[in-house]
Amino acid sequence: MLFLRTLLVVYALLVLPGNALLAATAANVEDRTREIATELRCVVCQNLSIADSPSEMAQQMRAIVREQVEAGKSAEQIKAFFVSKYGEWVLLKPKTTGFAALLWILPYVFLVLGVLAALWFLRRWSLAQKTKLSAAASAPVSDTMRRELLTEEFTLPDLEDSSVRASLLRERDRLKNELAELEFDFQTGKHSESDCAALKREIETKAADVMQQLHALPAQKLATPMPKRPTAKKTDPKSEGSRTRFRHWQLITGGVFLLLFGLALGVMLTQSIRPRQGSNDSMTGDFMTGTTPANSDARAALADGKQAFSRQEFPKAIDAFKKVLASDPDNSEAHAYMGFILMQAGHGDGAMLAFEKALSRAPNFPMALWGKGMVLYQDKKDFGAARGIFEKLLHLVPPGEERDEITKVLAEIPATGSAPKPTPPTAAAVAGQTISGKITIDAKLKDKIDPQAALFIIARSAAGAGGPPLAVKKIDKPTFPLNYSLSQENVMMQGLPFSGKISITARLDKDGNPTTRGAGDLTGEYKNNPAQAGAKNVDIAIDKVM
Amino acid sequence: MPWRRLTITLAIIGPILALLAFGFTRDAKYIKSPLLAKPATPFTVTLYDGKKLSLEDLRGRAVFLNFWASWCLPCREEARDLEAAWQKVKDRNMVFLGVALQDTDKNSIAFLKEFNITYPNGRDETGKIGVDYGTWGIPESFFIDPQGRITYKHVGGIRAALVISKLEDAAKGIVSAQEGRGDYQGVK
Repeated sequence: MLFLRTLLVVYALLVLPGNALLAATAANVEDRTREIATELRCVVCQNLSIADSPSEMAQQMRAIVREQVEAGKSAEQIKAFFVSKYGEWVLLKPKTTGFAALLWILPYVFLVLGVLAALWFLRRWSLAQKTKLSAAASAPVSDTMRRELLTEEFTLPDLEDSSVRASLLRERDRLKNELAELEFDFQTGKHSESDCAALKREIETKAADVMQQLHALPAQKLATPMPKRPTAKKTDPKSEGSRTRFRHWQLITGGVFLLLFGLALGVMLTQSIRPRQGSNDSMTGDFMTGTTPANSDARAALADGKQAFSRQEFPKAIDAFKKVLASDPDNSEAHAYMGFILMQAGHGDGAMLAFEKALSRAPNFPMALWGKGMVLYQDKKDFGAARGIFEKLLHLVPPGEERDEITKVLAEIPATGSAPKPTPPTAAAVAGQTISGKITIDAKLKDKIDPQAALFIIARSAAGAGGPPLAVKKIDKPTFPLNYSLSQENVMMQGLPFSGKISITARLDKDGNPTTRGAGDLTGEYKNNPAQAGAKNVDIAIDKVM
Repeated sequence: MPWRRLTITLAIIGPILALLAFGFTRDAKYIKSPLLAKPATPFTVTLYDGKKLSLEDLRGRAVFLNFWASWCLPCREEARDLEAAWQKVKDRNMVFLGVALQDTDKNSIAFLKEFNITYPNGRDETGKIGVDYGTWGIPESFFIDPQGRITYKHVGGIRAALVISKLEDAAKGIVSAQEGRGDYQGVK
């Protein structure tokens, strides 16, 4: 028993402290690793330290930090290692030496300068307010006093005279001299006009108080006028005029400078920094670095278009992609999305054109290659060309679901040959095709017509049911019966042919918005839908209430 | 004096604006690598055929070192070009070495088979080689002269013609002034 107890004591004395020591060392390594990691930038993140980033790259960098901590390297040595690989950019805290030291010093310099400037302005402001108030309070007496002070010359009392009158007289003389000096300083440009006026008011107010006290004393001659001494330099009207002009110029310069500063800052901030579009993107914009060609409006429109596309709001998506292409005609992504919309609407030719445009800018753009392949396969039945596109795509797409899908499509495509191609209508033939007819309102619905409603005549390609309309015509405040015609000029997307079988519907829309269908809207369709492009008498009776 | 005030104001605001403008022109992804003209960090990599290859073993030859991953689209785009370039220079005093980052052996081997890559390739198991070469995106390529000095770095996909041209520069010990750019994909 004693032996066992001794063993336990020996274990407690030897083993437990060792474990505790190891645990403490491990904790220390972790703490130091974390401490250093917080100062190193995750190179694939945006302003995240490798301590905070969950990325694989950050984990690997942390492991290297830990390894070097365990090897006994100091924090400075470890940071220097990463700087030697990535440059000083990898440090989240810039160095405190060399040019980078400015980053540490300048904020404090600006802070001190800012505080000083604020104090200076506050002081001026409070002085002006105080002077204004006191001047206003003593205004009724000060005018007379001011005249007296400025126009008369006084004798000073004996220096030994310590009476109240004598000290007031001395004070009055001192203030008068102060006024003269101020005027001189102003003439020589030491004070601005506003500063001079503020100081003058202050002195005059004090002088008025002094003179008021003198007047309040028992009657006695205040002073004997003396022969006039030469006064301070007279104001030169010419120099006064040039000073005023200079001040105007100064104000204009200041204003222009502030305007330019604001514009420069505004342009740089809005054009040079932008939200990141993905994990590989940078927040630094295109304005100066030229890293991306599209502007921020186009990017926003592209994002809107994609969202609308995913919600299957095709007219909205078309508008957004059109906006993108208006500002960036080579935007491959917008062309590709347009291609998918056209494809869904059954316009193979238009879709092919859009995908070709996307690929002319980015020949290996997987999305456009997929679209082109699908058009060739499903619409054009050109199996050989489709196979070639999908095989190319297969090499570009890494293993995963997308690649499996490509493999599946490739397996479905017949091995060789192609289906007979229908002859596409010529441009001239397409341009001349028009559908026309008359739109009437069912007699029982006549009292339901909203006088402010707009009529939409909508043409959809029969092959693309469910997709966006091929052509739309809007007629505000229509009167029925109404003769209409739809042709190439009403097509929603340039390049689409107004040809083939087309379904025609009409909707009298209360809110005039083509993308919304509200209760109370009246609708109707051509009873023999679809009509052939070029058909006449495609009459529609509006006979339903939504 | 008003002129003095104006000068002081301009002297304060001017440098701030200049600093701001300078900052806006910097894209962190393309800040110049400190590795150009520096000795390439030695490493040893286990190749996919099981052999080991050390950078030191390649001393005396111009080396094209390429970091890639099978999941990276620009790597797939450049793969054929790299093999084509290798076929053109393999009989000269030049060598290619591919290092896969953040990838699985299975996918990497499938990638090499798919593109018929014949030059030596191995995997950076811990990511240490990638960090040693300051990689933040792939593909990234380094050109090393026969003395073991980095002469050129290219971030993003690279074409065969440029590979050969830069390898010839490396063979002569010519160091490029700047890095090159192409499409890239961030590492994970």
